[in-house]
Amino acid sequence: MLSCKKATALIDKKYEQNLSFKEGFQLKLHILMCDACCVYEKQSKLISKALSKFFQTKVSVDKDTIENKKLKEKIISKL
Amino acid sequence: MEDIKKQVIKDWVLEYSDRLYAWALSKTSSIETAEDLVQETFLAAVVSFDNFKNKENPGTLLYSILNHKIIDQYRKKSSSTSSLSVLTENQAIASTDGLFNADERWMNRSNKSLWEDETQLLDNNEFIQIMEFCMAELPDKWRIAIGSKYLLERKTDEICQELNYTTTNYWQVIHRAKLLLKKCIEKYWN
Repeated sequence: MLSCKKATALIDKKYEQNLSFKEGFQLKLHILMCDACCVYEKQSKLISKALSKFFQTKVSVDKDTIENKKLKEKIISKL
Repeated sequence: MEDIKKQVIKDWVLEYSDRLYAWALSKTSSIETAEDLVQETFLAAVVSFDNFKNKENPGTLLYSILNHKIIDQYRKKSSSTSSLSVLTENQAIASTDGLFNADERWMNRSNKSLWEDETQLLDNNEFIQIMEFCMAELPDKWRIAIGSKYLLERKTDEICQELNYTTTNYWQVIHRAKLLLKKCIEKYWN
């Protein structure tokens, strides 16, 4: 039986890379029986979404390059 | 500065500054900040020029300097409004270990979720502000991992390569960072 500490680690591992069959099975079983880890799974998802939202950029820049001649000159003058 | 070095960096400015500027602008949403960060990137490149091993491929290097500066920009922003200070990695590990008892079970098993209504919380500015407040605590390396993932939206293998992490180190850092954020948010969000 997984401990809560290991189960929470697997919850986050699941989103970064795949779990092995055994890990996936153990995690499902643990979450079925553990309310606190079930809550953590929801919180972890929410934190991910909140981080994405927090870092979401307000302006979208479609171009890979934006010509900024002034900036170039300014940097070169400071070298 | 020696002439050769100066000429090389000048060529880098001509070749890369427009691309770096577009990237910085897309991640900071501020013309002024983006210009400052790009300028600082080249000035930092001058300082560490002699240590660069891969001078034939300056792009990778310049992006890496700039990316650290972009993430650091958010650190400055959150630490200006937060009374929390950056933890060392050991302190942060101790703090997240403290969530569990010796049997590795949750110390606090209260399952009343304070965060039940997800969609509402994501639109709640106060909640996002508390998260920002709590991010001030993340150890530098963890912040860079979180920033690379969520801000720079880089792929796992790129992040691992740049931070010199194995994939296991990487997800464990993300995991620890999330635990630390959970702990902090629960403390301040009520």
